[in-house]
Amino acid sequence: MCGILAVLGSSDDSQAKRVRVLELSRRLKHRGPDWSGIYQHGGNFLAHQRLAIIDPTSGDQPLFNEDKKIVVTVNGEIYNHEELRSRLHNHKFRTGSDCDVIAHLYEEYGEDFVDMLDGMFSFVLFDTRDNSFIVARDAIGITSLYIGWGLDGSIWVSSEMKALNDDCEHFESFPPGHLYSSKAGGMRRWYNPPWFSEAIPSTPYDPLILRRAFENAVIKRLMTDVPFGVLLSGGLDSSLVASITARYFAGTKAAKQWGTQLHSFCVGLEGSPDLKAAKEVADYLGTIHHEFHFTVQDGIDAIEDVIYHIETYDVTTIRASTPMFLMSRKIKSLGVKMVISGEGSDEIFGGYLYFHKAPNKEEFHWETCRKIKALHQYDCLRANKATSAWGLEARVPFLDKEFINVAMDIDPEWKMIKPDQGRIEKWVLRKAFDDDEQPYLPKHILYRQKEQFSDGVGYSWIDGLKAHAAQHVMDKMMLNASNIFPHNTPTTKEAYYYRMIFERFFPQNSARLTVPGGASVACSTAKAVEWDSAWSNNLDPSGRAALGVHASAYEQQLNATTMPKVPSKLINKKPRIVEISSPGLTIRS
Amino acid sequence: MCGILAVLGCVDNSHAKRSRIIELSRRLRHRGPDWSGIHCHEDCYLAHQRLAIVDPTSGDQPLYNEDKTIIVTVNGEIYNHEELRGKLKSHQFRTGSDCEVIAHLYEEYGEDFVDMLDGMFSFVLLDTRDKSFIAARDPIGITPLYMGWGLDGSIWFASEMKALSDDCERFMSFLPGHIYSSKCGALRRWYNPPWYSENIPSAPYDPLVLREAFEKAVVKRLMTDVPFGVLLSGGLDSSLVAAVASRHLAEVKSARQWGSKLHTFCIGLKGSPDLKAAREVADYLGTLHHELHFTVQEGIDAIEEVIYHIETYDVTTVRASTPMFLMSRKIKSLGVKMVLSGEGSDEIFGGYLYFHKAPNKEEFHQETCRKIKALHLYDCLRANKSTSAWGVEARVPFLDKEFINVAMNIDPEWKMVRPDLCRIEKWILRNAFDDDKNPYLPKHILYRQKEQFSDGVGYSWIDGLKDHANEHVSDAMLMNASFIYPENTPTTKEAYYYRTIFERFFPKNAARSTVPGGPSVACSTAKAVEWDAAWSKNPDPSGRAALGVHAAAYDEKVASLPAVNNSSSPNGLPQKKLQEGIVEATATSV
Repeated sequence: MCGILAVLGSSDDSQAKRVRVLELSRRLKHRGPDWSGIYQHGGNFLAHQRLAIIDPTSGDQPLFNEDKKIVVTVNGEIYNHEELRSRLHNHKFRTGSDCDVIAHLYEEYGEDFVDMLDGMFSFVLFDTRDNSFIVARDAIGITSLYIGWGLDGSIWVSSEMKALNDDCEHFESFPPGHLYSSKAGGMRRWYNPPWFSEAIPSTPYDPLILRRAFENAVIKRLMTDVPFGVLLSGGLDSSLVASITARYFAGTKAAKQWGTQLHSFCVGLEGSPDLKAAKEVADYLGTIHHEFHFTVQDGIDAIEDVIYHIETYDVTTIRASTPMFLMSRKIKSLGVKMVISGEGSDEIFGGYLYFHKAPNKEEFHWETCRKIKALHQYDCLRANKATSAWGLEARVPFLDKEFINVAMDIDPEWKMIKPDQGRIEKWVLRKAFDDDEQPYLPKHILYRQKEQFSDGVGYSWIDGLKAHAAQHVMDKMMLNASNIFPHNTPTTKEAYYYRMIFERFFPQNSARLTVPGGASVACSTAKAVEWDSAWSNNLDPSGRAALGVHASAYEQQLNATTMPKVPSKLINKKPRIVEISSPGLTIRS
Repeated sequence: MCGILAVLGCVDNSHAKRSRIIELSRRLRHRGPDWSGIHCHEDCYLAHQRLAIVDPTSGDQPLYNEDKTIIVTVNGEIYNHEELRGKLKSHQFRTGSDCEVIAHLYEEYGEDFVDMLDGMFSFVLLDTRDKSFIAARDPIGITPLYMGWGLDGSIWFASEMKALSDDCERFMSFLPGHIYSSKCGALRRWYNPPWYSENIPSAPYDPLVLREAFEKAVVKRLMTDVPFGVLLSGGLDSSLVAAVASRHLAEVKSARQWGSKLHTFCIGLKGSPDLKAAREVADYLGTLHHELHFTVQEGIDAIEEVIYHIETYDVTTVRASTPMFLMSRKIKSLGVKMVLSGEGSDEIFGGYLYFHKAPNKEEFHQETCRKIKALHLYDCLRANKSTSAWGVEARVPFLDKEFINVAMNIDPEWKMVRPDLCRIEKWILRNAFDDDKNPYLPKHILYRQKEQFSDGVGYSWIDGLKDHANEHVSDAMLMNASFIYPENTPTTKEAYYYRTIFERFFPKNAARSTVPGGPSVACSTAKAVEWDAAWSKNPDPSGRAALGVHAAAYDEKVASLPAVNNSSSPNGLPQKKLQEGIVEATATSV
């Protein structure tokens, strides 16, 4: 990842303004520790902090077209840049950077080239010929981007809120898949895939097509000139990513430079479920596996820093970001600059436990669409900012444009959880990689049920956070919460605790509006809370709350001693929402 | 390098205080990007930001003795830690970190162990048994350390000023070679080598003894578990470091892990003298050489950040730090965490051009002593902070304790610049490595004359800085300078420009007092300005000012008339405060 900051149409072109823009750009230095650059054209500034992944020696930014009339500052990776270059033979490229194509594509095709890019990106392009500019963000919002407006009529664009919140009168999250054009003076959506309409698709499920699409998505993300690895929690998604990477890694350019053994990384409290599961997968795949242990105190000490970096007060996001943030620091200290990660699968395939309660395939499908559209506020934001805090880039193959098209075109009937047919959540994905001849993963891992991320790092993590918040947020503070925070009022002490920290760093009203709110159960959208009337009584937003659907938790409760999980049993039981703090709810296995 | 912050005896031990200390400690994160730790014992906090060089997997800090009653947070490298461990047979070590010996040495020897450490270090050690603590800094001040006092009776220590300046009522630079002990409540000097008295030594010059001492100093600094390199400007000092390092690289552990080819790094404006000279040396030594180019604009854009990081408004230091700061970022981006650098040689051997004018060997020697004692305010500060800004560690073999003892014990008569005997500056060092059979460097490099660092990166760098300052500092501003900045009044627009930036980051009175001032020519101490009457008129502190002694510059001046002439500046106001040398001035403030 890199960090970009652009100030366009400022009335001030003084040295003082330049110094200010440089200073603000430095707030994004963690995203791009390797080098920085700034381009100034009158009252227009394009600044860049670079993390060098492709062409480290020459790809410093901003980038230009041949005659330097078009300037562009980019945060991202364009996976099909070589193919695009070959289409632009009459253009001369100055660098080997994958982002260099953007200036040339604009020259060739005008503003309509964005959908030609395959990758994750946010960029600002400035055309000095007519002082116009465009801003765009990738389809799903894997890279972060904010837009703001100054009182002097300037428009600000930045990878993170912290670089523009102090200088803009109003700002907001830049919508993913959109393009802002100064000529049109507004925003329009350039990303327009079939699934976006939320019509119910009818293509029958073909395991091999899905498998091939995902393999392609992983393979194109192996493009790198620097050491990389895989985040491996031991769950289905990260295990599949690791398995495919390990399988295709040998042929890539990166392997020739950095050795053919894949590095995998896992974080957890000592003895946590993830550590155990990841180790098992790593051993199976033969990766060089790195385990990082943290303590609840380490995590609590990092919370302020985490909130400053990820710029949200959403409870589940903070819980899940903290271990990822700590792990990223360790990964970076080992010299690794890029990791591949499993985000997005749960949204595309309805992997969250609450999907067990989807009343029909239409509701199921709509909920997956809503979840994907909201990813930029949750898991994309977490994965991008928690890693970028330490100059580490996260790539997410499940959010490949092509792969999403394939996966979201499948008749959702196939994604539904059907205990009677032995289909647990994400069955279509598991089945696609169930290869007896050349197994990707051992069966029991391939069909293992989901641990919610924050639980997987160790059950006492969330309990520790709650206990800490309970100690520092008084009951009377909670009584006044709705008066102090009328927007997205925190309803738990933990939420209140995070909110206080957030408001200290980002006191503007615009800032709190960038964070989503509303009712949710176990990561559901507000809409899906309607699926079960009991859910609306539950204040805790974590995965654990959707109890009664996680087989192992359920077994424990029944004191069942036997081995195979029989999903039919569990689904037929009336699920119960259990008070989270009650000690009866120990899911430890 | 790492970053340390310790707060001892604060009244408040709430969660809010802990958060505040963690927040302050994060201001040092650039020094130690790899991990952080904090230990809290009642009203004492020891925080640490770690750059992992030795034992990356287990050496996270703070470190402890066996029963965790002694806690220590350290920034530094202890080169003789294996030998020291050998002396501590009865002790059980928890990590492979070189710094862990400190807790055990304290346990064994009490407060008097500091001189046993060979290396660069700053540390704070807390003994929970009696709630006493000590803080100490290495002999020369290669690692930075500041000490401060809070209104609540707390004592603060931090690797950089920025971590304590907002929370302390008063603070100062912690004197190198000193130890603070809470039991006696005062600083005392633990570093007490023969040269410190400034008596004139009489040992005759033996080239082989000097050579061997320097080789040892370099070799012990090759101890590392991570990729490293050498800063190579192509001048004598850095070229010698590179030559010795590449010669001994194959013998050390790090070579087995990271390949036996040495990485070298050089920065300059395009076409600069350093780039050319360094390339020549790199080719000769067969190193993997990396050239980094910067533009004057890039340098100017970085100035604020440089001043924030290096915490000084000293003009030559800011000028020389900027290219080093930019280069460090690139070095780090290549995955290199540690570099060897040539600082200290000019001080020990009288390598600055103004030494040509030393009237006698006594003056010469005393000036070298003063220069070494002031290194922590100048080149050590620059080398440490401009690399640490990007999590790169700089090691400086010329400032090896043993090597200094050897080099400062030589009769200074040998160090004098003697054109009649064909001895240019630093002749004894050059001669020590003049080996016809197995040459370290080609003769013409070995005997090449000094480029001042900021000139070497390209002559237009300093000119560009001056132009930029002239553009943004008006005559009226400079006229009021002595009222706005009564202490260390800036006398040039460039100095004024740096000063305003410094004051913005560090507005407290205590902060500006940490920066040395007084008259200087071409890096001389105030005392040496007396060597030449003409010098006191020149307000430009760079090496170029000592004109007439650099052969190349001299040739040019004679050949082509429009030569550099800085002495005609209208602002050549004489300084108000003629200090008796910087070190004495600082020492009295204790």
